[in-house]
Amino acid sequence: MESIIETHNLTKYYPRLKTYRQIILSPFKKSQNLALSNVNLKVEKGSILGLLGPNGAGKTTLLKILSTLVHPTSGQAVVNGFDVVGQGNQVRRSIGIVTTEERSFFWRLTGRQNLQFFAALNNLFGLERDQSINTVLHQSGLEKESDRMFKDYSTGMKQRLAIARGLLCDPDIILLDEPTRSLDPYSSRHMRTFIKEKIVNHKKRTVILATHNLQEAEELCTHVAIIKDGMIITQGAMEKVKNIISSQWYRIKLSAGALTMDINKFPGVFEQRVAHDPSLLEIKTEDISGILRNILEEGAVVEECTLIRPSLEDIFTKVIEENGSVSAGQLL
Amino acid sequence: MMFLRKALAFLKKDLLNEMSYKLAFIMQVFGIFLSVTMFYFLSLMFGKSSLPSLAQYGGNYFAFVLIGIAFSNYLDVSLSSMSRKIREGQMMGTLEALLATQTGLTTIIVSSSLYSFLFTSLQVFVYLIIGVFMYQLDLSQANYLGGIIVLLLSILAFSGFGILSASFIMVFKRGNPVAKIFSGLSWLLGGIYYPVEILPQWLETCSLLLPITYSLQGMRLALLKGASLSELLPNILSLLAFTLIMLPISLFVFRYAVGRAKRDGSLTQY
Repeated sequence: MESIIETHNLTKYYPRLKTYRQIILSPFKKSQNLALSNVNLKVEKGSILGLLGPNGAGKTTLLKILSTLVHPTSGQAVVNGFDVVGQGNQVRRSIGIVTTEERSFFWRLTGRQNLQFFAALNNLFGLERDQSINTVLHQSGLEKESDRMFKDYSTGMKQRLAIARGLLCDPDIILLDEPTRSLDPYSSRHMRTFIKEKIVNHKKRTVILATHNLQEAEELCTHVAIIKDGMIITQGAMEKVKNIISSQWYRIKLSAGALTMDINKFPGVFEQRVAHDPSLLEIKTEDISGILRNILEEGAVVEECTLIRPSLEDIFTKVIEENGSVSAGQLL
Repeated sequence: MMFLRKALAFLKKDLLNEMSYKLAFIMQVFGIFLSVTMFYFLSLMFGKSSLPSLAQYGGNYFAFVLIGIAFSNYLDVSLSSMSRKIREGQMMGTLEALLATQTGLTTIIVSSSLYSFLFTSLQVFVYLIIGVFMYQLDLSQANYLGGIIVLLLSILAFSGFGILSASFIMVFKRGNPVAKIFSGLSWLLGGIYYPVEILPQWLETCSLLLPITYSLQGMRLALLKGASLSELLPNILSLLAFTLIMLPISLFVFRYAVGRAKRDGSLTQY
């Protein structure tokens, strides 16, 4: 598949504000915070990449670099074939960035007036502008509220207007920075449906969705990259990333007479737990076939054996806790 | 064409925004009337005494100071409107949203101050109208074309310093030495309240380094004495020189400042 976004050893340090003491005693010494470290990322055209990570992991910094709002300290980022530092104008023509920053609108203008202003700055004028605004207002369900001042919008409406602004120019790439943050569960669900139906299914755009809502990522994304402390720990197609857990949970149903069998005694069983149904056992292992063989050799009957699929949350917890790195090549 | 349409979008946005603050808007308009009245009473105090240095502008202090105050508004706006807009953008968070669009830096910085210039022009117009109809300001000999040329060049020359000042705000967020120093010196030496000829010789020489000196002198000669374009030429050329030197330098510095803010990741910090 063709990559539409690529980063090569992308690194970002933010300067720290110096104290008066530091200014006097060591005026030339640099004081910096690492935000991104050698990030190598590939985003396939038409995919929806979930950029997952805890707070402060570097998700927003990465999105800001891709949208030319922050320059990297070293390394390179290429968006739609254009370098984010040297070809900022071309990059901005390819992307729509949606932040949860309510302050990025003019509060005493209506939703429509805000969109008219930003449409003009994105080279949309006259009939084309009006049509585009009507389309995104319809898509975001804000048609009836478009003539209310932005300050009177609810949080969910502000968020939807931010998405409408990002879609104004019908960009090839949409960068969504935590679009459901600070929304209640109902509005979050509505927002996810909106993203899935209008942006992903209908428009088939390439999307990067920065979030720490794993359910959201699992529901929407085809690919995932997990970032921690500025480093990409793992990335790849959703299903492949899920397979990085080599020891998996299995649910086994044994014949009635074998329920007292001590499964723990078999080699390869890492953990055993009782399922909600007492006739079922759940075991964690890397070698399910060996264990089934041992059970059969003991004379028991295995009536059912199913793999319990790990959730994205399981994967996320595992990689964040281990902080181990799995190379992209292994997964892609 | 594209620039004009974008500039109009900025103008419309700022007008809608300002008009939504109704009390502040009305107070701004009311303030113009108060200032004119204050200067009229000042002129009554000085009216009978004649200053030889005012003779070249017709000898009327009210006319002298009204032109000085009215057109020094352009200095204030040029110096402060761009940096104020940058600061507002940092505080409100709109700066990042503007820079994420397909509009160039120069268009953004220039267009963001258009409303202030337009409002100042309205202010100056009202100053002059009140001056003429209520306080017998004599503009019967005025060379309006000359006045407009001097005005446009003054705005361009002042804007160079304004863009420099916006660059400081972009990087340092607060603290604006360019505006402070340039504005202070202009008010002190530029001939706003008094003719530069009354200054000690060395200070009068210093005043020649400030564009406001040429701007106000040209404006007074054009409006009060009806000076021809050839008589205004020294002022026009001086303002042109300031423009040609300062504008490219300031745009270069502003571009550097935005790059620096992007490297620091501080576009929306304040």
